[in-house]
Amino acid sequence: MANQVTLTIDDLTVTVPEGTLVVDAARKAGIDIPVFCYHPKMEPVGMCRMCLVQVGRPMVDRATGQPVLDADGQPKIQFSPKLETSCTIPVSEGMVIRTNTPEVLRAHRDIIEFLLTSHPLDCPICDKGGECPLQDLTRAYGPGQSRFLLDDKMRLAKHVPLGELIYLDRERCILCARCIRFQDEIVDEPVLSFYHRGRSMQIVTYSDPPFDSYFSGNTTDICPVGALTTADFRFAARPWELKNNASICTQCPVGCNTTLNTRREVKSGGKWVVKRVMPRQNELVNEIWICDKGRFGYHYAESGERILSPHVRKEQGLVPVSWDEALDLVEQRLRQAGAGTVTLAGGRLANEDLFNLAQVTDHLGGRKLLHTQVGGGEYVQRYGLGKGSNLGELGKGDAILVIASDLQEEAPVWWLRVKRAADRGAALMVLNPRPTRLDPYARFIHHYRYGEELEALGRLAAGEGELAEAAEALRSAENLVIFYGSEGLGLAETTALAREAAGLLAGSGRAGKVNSGLIGVWQQNNTLGAYDMGFRPEADLAGALSGSGLAWIAAADPAGDHPALEAALKQAGFLVVQDLFMTRTAQMADVVLPAQAFTEREGTFTSGERRVQRFYPAVAAPPGPLADFSIAARVGLRVGIELEGASAATVMLRIAASVPAYAGLDYALISEVSEQWPIIGREDRYYGGTGYDNHQGLGVQLQPDAVTDPDGEVSIAMAAPAPLQVPEGAVYLAPVTRLYDQGLTLKPSMKIVGQRMARREVWLNPETAARLGFGAASLVTLEGEGWTASGVEIRVDEQLPPDVLLAPRSVGIPATGPEAVRLRPLVTEPEA
Amino acid sequence: MNAFHAKYQTEIEQILAKYPPERKRSAVMPLLFLAQRDDNYISPNELADIAEILEMSVTDVASVVGFYTLFYDQHEGRYRIQVCTDLPCALRGAETFFEALCKELGVSSGGTTPDGLFTIEEVKCLAACHRAPVFQVQGDGEIAYYENQTAETALQVIAALREKAVQEARSREGAA
Repeated sequence: MANQVTLTIDDLTVTVPEGTLVVDAARKAGIDIPVFCYHPKMEPVGMCRMCLVQVGRPMVDRATGQPVLDADGQPKIQFSPKLETSCTIPVSEGMVIRTNTPEVLRAHRDIIEFLLTSHPLDCPICDKGGECPLQDLTRAYGPGQSRFLLDDKMRLAKHVPLGELIYLDRERCILCARCIRFQDEIVDEPVLSFYHRGRSMQIVTYSDPPFDSYFSGNTTDICPVGALTTADFRFAARPWELKNNASICTQCPVGCNTTLNTRREVKSGGKWVVKRVMPRQNELVNEIWICDKGRFGYHYAESGERILSPHVRKEQGLVPVSWDEALDLVEQRLRQAGAGTVTLAGGRLANEDLFNLAQVTDHLGGRKLLHTQVGGGEYVQRYGLGKGSNLGELGKGDAILVIASDLQEEAPVWWLRVKRAADRGAALMVLNPRPTRLDPYARFIHHYRYGEELEALGRLAAGEGELAEAAEALRSAENLVIFYGSEGLGLAETTALAREAAGLLAGSGRAGKVNSGLIGVWQQNNTLGAYDMGFRPEADLAGALSGSGLAWIAAADPAGDHPALEAALKQAGFLVVQDLFMTRTAQMADVVLPAQAFTEREGTFTSGERRVQRFYPAVAAPPGPLADFSIAARVGLRVGIELEGASAATVMLRIAASVPAYAGLDYALISEVSEQWPIIGREDRYYGGTGYDNHQGLGVQLQPDAVTDPDGEVSIAMAAPAPLQVPEGAVYLAPVTRLYDQGLTLKPSMKIVGQRMARREVWLNPETAARLGFGAASLVTLEGEGWTASGVEIRVDEQLPPDVLLAPRSVGIPATGPEAVRLRPLVTEPEA
Repeated sequence: MNAFHAKYQTEIEQILAKYPPERKRSAVMPLLFLAQRDDNYISPNELADIAEILEMSVTDVASVVGFYTLFYDQHEGRYRIQVCTDLPCALRGAETFFEALCKELGVSSGGTTPDGLFTIEEVKCLAACHRAPVFQVQGDGEIAYYENQTAETALQVIAALREKAVQEARSREGAA
């Protein structure tokens, strides 16, 4: 622990660690020093001058080096002749700070008066009005009147798009550089900067596309005025109309804590609607940040395409029916199918849904299958992060290995946390077939050939050749975290990779240790929860579905994912689908059951770091859909098993009683919070931004099985993948993840992030493209194993390795793992 | 190698050699001067090329251009005639001098002559108050200083520059 320093702030004696800044020391003591440019997550710059205070230090006799004492024997305090910025001064022993003397208050008033000389004061039409630091501090400290001339006010552009997601109002900007510093210091994507100087200074971006960053929305939270607003929320609502509802982001397995801001509005027929998604502080998970996909991708929940009533297939096709009619039919067919029932669940479901589905399936003696292209959950259950782990604590002396993952695309906030750990001195090793945005922070980079991830990991474990130094860093590291992703990989390959990575962890004696462990970069947010509730991926999913007496599909669209699965579903005895949308699978179904969105109900998700976190209802569900756990409970009741269907909290009690890893969990425990630093989201929004304080739960991290059951073993019935042979004339296809894909949960947000979405395209090295006879931008038809995809655009990138074709997932190219594909020029049909 | 790098390969290598490889970005100012040499402004392409050479973001390079008043990102006159009209210079007649020059060139402050040769502008202190009227000419990669000027002497400078441009145009035609 750092040395402690004691100082006096406004007659309050405060003891804080050495190196603490005066402004933070005051904040900890409950004394608010107003700031604009200072932010507790960033280095101080002392630009705005709002935090001026009087600083006194004990006088020291220069001759003796001893403190000078006054008549009472107390150290004499010498005050600086001028005020100092409290954001740039670290505390020192015996310091005396005065934050509310007439001189200081005068300084506050003058700074506000200066700032307002070029501020439009258009609060009535400003999105920030009501949660605006400048507004709040003007009311608290401002002069009320200005001595400057109105005619001398700056007149600047008010709707400058910094890209299509973020708008800049140049008049409102007070040039605190928080946005610039966030992009520079925290994200290291310096796409914002100042242009010109003095009174002409402005914020600019020159990147292509403009403001090119997955974290751009965070700048609107920390902007202390209404200068930066999101395209999604600008002019959408006033902050004081909004209610706050705690939630968990559903876009990836990081499990960022969020707040859904809702209001009732006339244009939505008097219903409560989600107006924006804001980060909710959880220093163990996402700190105070979220990525733009999480911020803007929620629109699917309110999509007009949602299924609103149960449907049953009749002569004329799927027709809306009552729940009773639909459930009667499901009951009848489930009883017939019995042990022939196959339940296929997607990783979007909450733990409560998965538990009830599992219970019903077990009762019938059916199979519980998980729809995922990333496997290895059994190894994560056993060797996942130890309870009490926090990626934010990793630093010097620790090692992080990221293998087969473009982490910024697959899980942006994990990318940010890993990068920050590397900034703090952690040894980062990146093993990936191509360069990614993580490489600049890596101490060791190894680009292996696509398909050789196991060999690469083996070479690292053995410390061979160029990896000798990395292997030594890995061996000597205090803590070791391994991320494995799905860059170019499918189910079998990721499962094998997880096993090898787990072996590396277990072999080094770090299994179950705090701040060590295995993290799978899943494609869905709750894949790990599905593993915990007993669902397992099946290598021959098509075989399992086609041979089923009844296939019950929840939150998955196998038919939309692959033609082979579509064909298999046609063979299934009966098809029941529960989902939000009329997916391709749902269109084939015999019974469709409408499910509620995560905004309309409660539940828990288990994050990739094995943290069980709770989300709360934010808006009323439309009449019709039910929560997935309720649907499963209703079905269960009909087939003879009594389950909790009324409240997710009681389902959790059942989970705690029957799933060992979740023993002792309940909603109260998951909802516990403790004091976090920095203190944000309270009355003093100027300090940390408009992100929300966490009152609704930091979640509970599970203990890995390696700790609770040291003698246990992992058994997976999955064949090791055979090396892929690429025949003459074909090319190696590697599926890769793009953050903005065209998946079900992002596409309805198209009007916001549409321009940045991955298109129906494949990426090649230009020489490989030339060898295959295709130029950039040409359109081709891809032919894979049992599928074709036409109208795919060829894109070239010199950074890619030769002889491989990168295909983004979820853009309509059905490859589920590495495979050999053939390319043909797209022949347009001759006109009849 | 991008277009800008290819165009000034020798010069760029010489400039880069002055800085340690991990401190490449220190070369941003000399490279910007280089980019400005031929047509007295930094084009968007040159901006992107410099960013690539120095492994900086384009925004960061643009920010340097924005900060310094002697870098330009707008294509204006080949020669920028910059006259100081601050108070001490004004006391020595800089304002009337500036007006006379504008009149002779037929443009107003900040304007460019129709032949694209001259842009005339008022600037802040040129650090030669005691020798005002004073102006500098920025162009062809150089900055030339002219002190104790009158409208007549300034016009001689302008005429000489114009003659230089005419000669160049002639020799180009001759070569073609």
